[in-house]
Amino acid sequence: MSYTPSAAALKKIQGLIVPYPERSAALLPVLRVLQEESGFVSPEAEAWVAAKLGIQPIRVREVLTFYTMLRRKPAGKTTIRVCRNLSCTLAGAEDIIGFLREKLGVGPGGTTPDGRITLETVECLGNCDQAPCLQVDGIDYGRVTKDMVAALVGELEAHE
Amino acid sequence: MVGLKIDGLPVRAAEGTSVLKAAELVGIAIPHFCYHPAFEAEGNCRMCLVEVEGLPKLELACSTAVKEGMTVWTSTPCVIQARRDVLEFLLAEHPLDCPICDKAGECKLQDYYERYGLFAGRFVEAKEKRNKKVAIGKGLLLDRERCILCTRCVRFLRKVTGTGELGVFERGVRAEIGTYDGVPVDNNYSGNLVDICPVGAITDADFRFKTRAWFLKKRPTVCPRCSRGCAVVVESVSGYPLGEGQRRIFRIKAGENPAVNGSWICDFGRAGRRDIDENRHVRVIRSAAPEEELSWQKGLAAIAARVRAVPGPERPGKIAVVLNSRMTCEEMALAKRVFAESLGLGKIFFADPKPGAGDGFLLTEERVPNARGAVQAGFSPRLPDLAALAATEILFIFGSHLLEHFSEEAVSRALAGIPSKFLFSAHTGPLDRSAELVFPIAVPAEKSGTYVNVDGLRQSFGRAVEPPPGVVPELEVLAYLANGLGLSRGVPDAC
Amino acid sequence: MSEDAVRLLPADESSWRLEAYVRRGGYEAARKAVASMAPQDIIAEVRRAGIRGRGGAGFPAGLKWSFVPQGGPAPKYLCVNADEGEPGTFKDRAILVRNPHALIEGMIIVAFGVGIRTAFVYVRGEYARIAGRLEEALAEARAGGFLGRGIFGSDFDLEVVVHFGAGAYICGEETALLESVEGRRGQPRLKPPFPAVIGLFRSPTVINNVETLANVPSIVGRGADWFLARGLAKDGGTRLFGVSGAVRRPGLYELPVGTPLRTIIETHAGGPPEGVAIKAIIPGGLSAPMLMAGELDTCMDFDSLAGACTMIGSAGIIVIGDRTPILDVLKVMARFYAHESCGQCAPCRIGTSWIHKIVSRIAEGKGRPADLDLILELADGMKGRTLCPMGDAAALPVRALVTKFRDELERAVSR
Repeated sequence: MSYTPSAAALKKIQGLIVPYPERSAALLPVLRVLQEESGFVSPEAEAWVAAKLGIQPIRVREVLTFYTMLRRKPAGKTTIRVCRNLSCTLAGAEDIIGFLREKLGVGPGGTTPDGRITLETVECLGNCDQAPCLQVDGIDYGRVTKDMVAALVGELEAHE
Repeated sequence: MVGLKIDGLPVRAAEGTSVLKAAELVGIAIPHFCYHPAFEAEGNCRMCLVEVEGLPKLELACSTAVKEGMTVWTSTPCVIQARRDVLEFLLAEHPLDCPICDKAGECKLQDYYERYGLFAGRFVEAKEKRNKKVAIGKGLLLDRERCILCTRCVRFLRKVTGTGELGVFERGVRAEIGTYDGVPVDNNYSGNLVDICPVGAITDADFRFKTRAWFLKKRPTVCPRCSRGCAVVVESVSGYPLGEGQRRIFRIKAGENPAVNGSWICDFGRAGRRDIDENRHVRVIRSAAPEEELSWQKGLAAIAARVRAVPGPERPGKIAVVLNSRMTCEEMALAKRVFAESLGLGKIFFADPKPGAGDGFLLTEERVPNARGAVQAGFSPRLPDLAALAATEILFIFGSHLLEHFSEEAVSRALAGIPSKFLFSAHTGPLDRSAELVFPIAVPAEKSGTYVNVDGLRQSFGRAVEPPPGVVPELEVLAYLANGLGLSRGVPDAC
Repeated sequence: MSEDAVRLLPADESSWRLEAYVRRGGYEAARKAVASMAPQDIIAEVRRAGIRGRGGAGFPAGLKWSFVPQGGPAPKYLCVNADEGEPGTFKDRAILVRNPHALIEGMIIVAFGVGIRTAFVYVRGEYARIAGRLEEALAEARAGGFLGRGIFGSDFDLEVVVHFGAGAYICGEETALLESVEGRRGQPRLKPPFPAVIGLFRSPTVINNVETLANVPSIVGRGADWFLARGLAKDGGTRLFGVSGAVRRPGLYELPVGTPLRTIIETHAGGPPEGVAIKAIIPGGLSAPMLMAGELDTCMDFDSLAGACTMIGSAGIIVIGDRTPILDVLKVMARFYAHESCGQCAPCRIGTSWIHKIVSRIAEGKGRPADLDLILELADGMKGRTLCPMGDAAALPVRALVTKFRDELERAVSR
């Protein structure tokens, strides 16, 4: 098997499996660690997890394709998830998405050619009183405006 | 036992029985796609909703257990409406390719649409585009547009074979069945996936586009390919739309037998289709004049004359017989009478197909259906000693499996000096050349009779297909011989 | 003892820490329960309080606990539902961030009452960052002897595992949540068997929402009567009403169950902005059928909302202003359910997608006269026919919207 996670990830994974009465139950937490490390879960990683947890690789694939936050393909270094559900739509989410599309030159699901930023639209982020809201690598931003978004993107692009 | 009422009919069913099964006990068929008696209820198709008095919503007949005093209605307007709605959803994204679909004619979607639907399609949106020809292994093709995601196939591979080659990927309307990166379905039970698919989503290349379901004559029999004795259904066409007098076996499917095979058969048994159709002898052949027409009755009369010419006391030394364990109990009993008891032969041997690997599930190592029957008939099956055969003057060989145990050269050398050798065989083969006369024999599917399986279970079966004209079962051969030898045929003993 | 002790969200943002929680009387209820109450008395007290589940379905929590078989050799589990995905809902997030110890204390109490030693907190993947707070609080509780072995010097142990989802609304459905904890696709299970009997890892399992559990310490600490005195007699306590959409002060308001919608929206959330009138109100998360402006005097409790043909759900109120075309709302709704259907059962898988396709077509200006009736009929076709409650959750709000704004939609269709 060509794939092995880093020593740090491996250690984390060992710890994650412990509290579950069945190893296979640790699938989501383990995939999370692998994705945090590599940005996505490759077929080699799928096979590795499957062997680690004593399940068939197909069971890993079933799970990977079910949950929207899990990825089978590489994405940008940073992910911007913009909420497009009702409260955010009422607060102008479509404008924010349109602005980001223009600013990044890619639509939802796309990654900037330099590989820095992936843009995603998502359903409710549970931050509705802060609408319109988005997350940058999981960090919440609320009541966002175009100016804020421009600044955010600028910062991300400036960052090495 | 629990007492309940279904559509006003009193029903008694064992505790834990589903309403769906209980209804079947009184002849009420509740429509369903995902439910299969071999699995736990899954409840994803929603087709079997019924009304249970006292409950606010419709309940699933497949997963609701019977309760004492329960009152169930399976055909109220409310239930019918639910069926129509569920059907409409299932049909919305379903392709309209019934004219080229193998399943047409035996498709649950079609059947139920005729029974409950017959509505005009209201789906005017673009259908999801999906791969219609996914090779999933062992000649099976998956059509994702036809699939209704009942997951019977996935569950079969997880719960029956334990191989788990199929899974469900993606979600919502994009959900689809598939293999893992093309790792194919690879087990000896793959053919069952076609049997259990309630629609035309999984088809078998061996059957694909070959005929239409409504031409098929479906007859049960017992599989002769190993000693398990699984129930199978032979599906054949005789005559139209084939040419007159033509017959073809299109497939063998699993039959139901809870005591033996449940609802499954192995691919090896399924492939027995070829055994029925291919390389068959259809007339008596005399090696000296192969073109000459000779009826089997005439041929047998000549044989009887030769046997009669051997004086009684010399027969044990001069006549030998090779039998096989594909013969039925009835045939064995008659063979015992004719050869052992009446002619007093001692040189009675067996030549069976060589054992193969068992698969730990249904397929046994013995590749014959009636080894137990041979023993019960009083035989002690043993392979022939070629030297013993060579020393005879008349040799009867039933079956063509001698060559699995000895080289062609050794056999022809042993047989070379025997003046009279008669082969009774269903299939053509190199042994034909060594015989003076070759008689066309019926395959098990063309016979009725009894087999005793690996567990000692006696199973009688009827003819699944008519043999070609001029082809006869061993039973008739033996009976004719008995007559020709002046032996009383009697009633074949049950072995 | 300050009023903060009974508030789910203390006023002071920094008072989430164990020290502050203990200072305002925290963990006293758990101590009382473990040290001096019989497990069945705890369940009885919560049952008497009648607290209804705060997640959406509103099943009485104490009753749910009482279904778990007593004793037996099999392990039992607690699953905390922090998969807050119902659009318009952000209350559990607030509890996780501002009062995590109230949740932990509630978990200790139910675990002791039911005989559970392992609890899983199922936190939606989108909350992974903010759940750092919960994990810190759990560490504090462990260090303080409130979790782990021999809690309060008794022989009662409790381990808590935080399990993250990864983006699936359906995992908020309790049996889908169980599947997800077990490492599978979040596809709901058939019921029965109910999780209280056969749940996580085939063992008896209690599943409660975050807010429900955060209420438990006050109920046990102060008694069911105290709880019932807040809110309504049959539907007690307070709730965290989340208000978003066309209001001046979107936010969370902790108010007694039964507070009129008008009070919440106008008095607390400040009413619609200047120049905007209320067009419709979604009272309990996107899945709750909408109310018209004229229904503002409806009270926010189970029975009153049921009387108005909708539900309190997660108490996430979304106010829609008159400048919003109703088709925009329908588009979001239709897309959301199609996107989140797990795909397991036919009516939901195809029904949500079909409705989404029709609505998208209407939005493209290609509406047909029969479309609206068809949407209604498809919604009816899904209602009550699906494997889990999501079929109804998707069908009912669409049905209400199309019925209540038929005229406006007719104009959109014939445009």
